[in-house]
Amino acid sequence: MKEITLTIDGKTCKGAQGDTIMEVARKNDVYIPALCYLEGLTPIGSCRMCVVEVEKNPKMLTACTTPALDGMVVHTQTEKLREYRRQMLELIFAGRNHFCMYCSQSGDCELQDLAIEHGMDSVRYPYLYAGFENDATHRDIQIDHNRCILCLRCIRVCAEKVGTHTLDLQKRGWNATVVSDLGRRLGESDTCTTCGACAQVCPTGTITLREFAYRGRRKDCDDVVENVCPLCPVGCRIKVYVRTGSIARVEGTAVTEPDGGQLCRKGRWTLPRSSERERISVPMIREGSHYREADWEEALGLVAEKFKKAHEADSDGVLVSSLCTDEELALFVSLFKDGLGMQRLDTFDGDILRGFVKGFEPFSRQGVRPFTAAHNILESDCLVNLSAEPDDEAPVIASYMRVGALRNGAALLNISCKPNPYGDLTDIDAVAPSPEQSAALVQGLVDLVAGFKVPGSQGESGRDAMARLSEKTGIPGETIEEILERLRAARKPIFLLGGCLSRNPAAVTSAVNLAIACGAFFDDGIGVVPLVSSGNSLGAINTVLAKEPWIGEKKLDFLYVYSSGMVPEDEASLSAISGTKFVVVQCPFWAQPLVNLADVLLPAPAWYERSGHYCTIEGERRRLNVVVPPKGEVRGLASILKDLSADLGVQPGRPEESPCENVYASEKPPTEAQMVLLEEVRK
Amino acid sequence: MAKVKVATVWLEACAGCHMSFLDIDERLVDLVDLVDIVYSPIVDGKKIPKATVGVIEGALGNDEELHLAKEMRKQCDIIVAWGDCAVFGGINCMRNFTDRRQALKEAYVDSPSTVNPGGVIPHEDIPHLLPQAIPVDHEVKVDVYVPGCPPDADTILWVFQELLEGRVPTVPSEMMRYD
Repeated sequence: MKEITLTIDGKTCKGAQGDTIMEVARKNDVYIPALCYLEGLTPIGSCRMCVVEVEKNPKMLTACTTPALDGMVVHTQTEKLREYRRQMLELIFAGRNHFCMYCSQSGDCELQDLAIEHGMDSVRYPYLYAGFENDATHRDIQIDHNRCILCLRCIRVCAEKVGTHTLDLQKRGWNATVVSDLGRRLGESDTCTTCGACAQVCPTGTITLREFAYRGRRKDCDDVVENVCPLCPVGCRIKVYVRTGSIARVEGTAVTEPDGGQLCRKGRWTLPRSSERERISVPMIREGSHYREADWEEALGLVAEKFKKAHEADSDGVLVSSLCTDEELALFVSLFKDGLGMQRLDTFDGDILRGFVKGFEPFSRQGVRPFTAAHNILESDCLVNLSAEPDDEAPVIASYMRVGALRNGAALLNISCKPNPYGDLTDIDAVAPSPEQSAALVQGLVDLVAGFKVPGSQGESGRDAMARLSEKTGIPGETIEEILERLRAARKPIFLLGGCLSRNPAAVTSAVNLAIACGAFFDDGIGVVPLVSSGNSLGAINTVLAKEPWIGEKKLDFLYVYSSGMVPEDEASLSAISGTKFVVVQCPFWAQPLVNLADVLLPAPAWYERSGHYCTIEGERRRLNVVVPPKGEVRGLASILKDLSADLGVQPGRPEESPCENVYASEKPPTEAQMVLLEEVRK
Repeated sequence: MAKVKVATVWLEACAGCHMSFLDIDERLVDLVDLVDIVYSPIVDGKKIPKATVGVIEGALGNDEELHLAKEMRKQCDIIVAWGDCAVFGGINCMRNFTDRRQALKEAYVDSPSTVNPGGVIPHEDIPHLLPQAIPVDHEVKVDVYVPGCPPDADTILWVFQELLEGRVPTVPSEMMRYD
C-alpha cells in the first residue's frame, strides 16, 4: 500500500493511501476530538467534533470521513475550530436534556469530558426541553433517550459487530431517536441478544447497564485487569474493573480487535454477578443432613483416608471442570495420574471432547490442524452450520456468523438436526429429523462433492447417489442440489461444528472431510470451527480427558469433583456423583445441586482469584489473571493438592503444562490434508 | 483599602453552592478581611444594596426569583452565576416537561408522600411560577459562569481572588465540573 505524508499541526505524519485524516492522526498520536467516531466502526461524520482545517480548502472538513491525501496540511486546534466545536457542544446540550448531576455516567462521559475540555461554562442557545422516553423495559439495559446525542455508535456496533440489527433510528431531526426492531421498546425486542455492546460504546449516559450503574466510574476504579472469559472456548479477552476489592464492571476489549472486542451475554453478566454469589469459605464435613465447619487438616485427612481405601479397591475417580487453567489441569495430572496411577480422570464435558478428539485424530496424525480460529468466520464466503447452536454454545460465534452473512455477503447454510438458529439470514435450511440422518447427510455431501467413495456406498454417482441420500436423510433432493451448488461455488467455506454432532466421532471426521473436499483451507488449519464446550476444553484434551468414558459405568466408592461453579453440571454427571459412596466437592460457590451431593466440601478460588492459561479455539494461549486476591480460608489448588498428596503418602509427578501449540500442532500446511475413510474412525 | 462589597443570593437551588462556599474553611477568615458581604442568606439584610460583585445561586423559577435576579443585576457591577442551576437551569428543569399546573399538582397533591385530602394548592401571597425554570442568563446578563453541582470550594475561592485582583475570570477546564 502506498505511503502518504501529511502535515498535521506542524507534525509530519505518515499514513497509508485510503486512510482518513482521523486515522492518520491517531496513528501518529495527534489528538482530534470526536464523539461519533469509534475506531473499528464505519465513520459517519455526524457529530462534527472532528472538524479540521485543511490548507487551500475553504471548508472545514470532518477528519473521520475525509480521505487523507499526500501533502495535505491539516490544522486541528485553531481558535476557529475550537469555537465551532464549542458551538456544536452547546447545541447538543440545548437539544436534549443533559443534566450531569443526576446521571449515573457523570464523570464517565465523553460528552461531559469534551464540553469541559472546550471550556463550555454556559450554553448560549435556548433549551428545547423536549421530553423523551426513558426506556426501562429491558431487564439489564436502560435507554434514556433524553441523553442521546445521536452518534449512532450503538446502532453501528449492533449491526457491524453483533450482527443483530436490533437498534436503528426513527424519525428525523430533533425528534430522531434510537429504536429497537421496528418501533418496539428494547425489552420487547425479539432480536436483542442482551450482549450489552451498545452500552459499552455509548459515549454518554444514554444506554447504561443497571448492573454497573453507580458501582464506580471507569476512571475511579482502582485497577483494570486484562483477562480472559473462561465460559466458552472462544476465550474472549475482557477488561475487569476493580473498585475497593470487588468487581465493578466487565467489558470487552476495543472493537478494533480481530474478534471485534465483543462480549456475549454470558461474559457480560455471569462473570460480574458471580462475584456476589455465596461462597464456600471454609472446609465442611457432612454430618447427617447438614454440614459442619472443619479445618483444612481435618477435612483433607478425612478425604485422604476415604481416598486411600477406595484407591486400593480400584473404586475411585476424579471429575474436574474444563474451566480449569492449564496449570491446574497439570496439577491434577501430576497427582492423580502420575502419582496415584489413576485412570478414572475426566472432565464434565468429556463425552463431547472425546467425540472431537476421535473425529480429529486421523487428521492430527497427518500433522494438520483440523480446525481454524473462530474469527476466520469473518473471512469466509460460505458459512455452514453443522448442528451447532452458537447462541447457546458460544454467542460471540453467532455474531460472527450473522455479520459474515449480512455484511460480508457470505452464504449461510444450516445443515442440522436442530431448528435453524439464524432465522431469515439462512440461504438454505436442511434440518434432518435425527442426529444420525444429519451426520449421514454430511458424509453424503462429502461423497458428492469429492466423488469420494466410502465403504458401504454402492459406487453410484450423480442423480442416483443424490436420490439415495435424500431418501436416507429426509432432505429433499433439490435442497441437496442447492447445497452442493453453494459448496462448489465457495472459495473459502467454514464449517461450524457443534451440538448433537459433536459427540459422534464419525460425524466430526465427515465434517473435516467435507471441509477438505470443499477446499476450506486457512493459514492455521482446516476450515472447521469446533464448539468444544468450555474455556479450556482444548487444554483438557491432552491432560485429564479419559480415553474412554467411565462416568456412571460403575458405582464408585470415592469421587473427587472440582467444579468452577460457573456452568451447571450435566444430568449424567450429577447422577453418577449422587450414586457414589463418598464425594468430595471442591467449588468456589454454593452451586446447587452439586454441593448437596458432597460428603466433604472444600473451598476453591473463584475465576477472579486465580491465574493461569487457557487454550482457546482462537489458537491462542490466553492468560487468566488474578482480579482480587482470595479471602479467608480459600487456598490455591497447588497447596491443597500438596497437603493431600502428603496425607496420601504419594509423591506427585512434576506438573507440566502442555503449551497450546502442542494441542493439534500444525506441522504442515493444511492444504496437504487428506480425507480419511470413516472406517478408520469407527473401528 | 476599602473592602469590596459582595452580595449573594439563593434562588431556585438547594443552597449547596453556598455550602460549598463555606467549605473554603479557614480561608474564609482571610477572605472577610478583604470583602464585605452586604447581602446573603448568611447575613441579615432586607434590601440588596449597591455592591461590586453579585453572586447568584439557583435558577429562575418564579417571579420573585426573577425580580431578585434583576435587582442583583441593577445593584451589582459584576454578576457571577454559581452552580449548575444558575448556569444551565439544573435539576429545576425537570418540571419543564409538564405545564405549571401539572407540576404544582404533582408536588402538592399527587406525590406519594403528600397527605392533602382537600387537594389544596397554595396560591395566595406566594410567588407565581414562571412557565419554565430557566438559567439566570436567559433574563439577566451574567459576567462569570461557575458551573458545578456544586462548584468546588477551591474554584469558588479562586473566582473571588481573581475578582479581587480586578480581573473577570473564565473558569478553566481543569477547575470546571458539571456534577
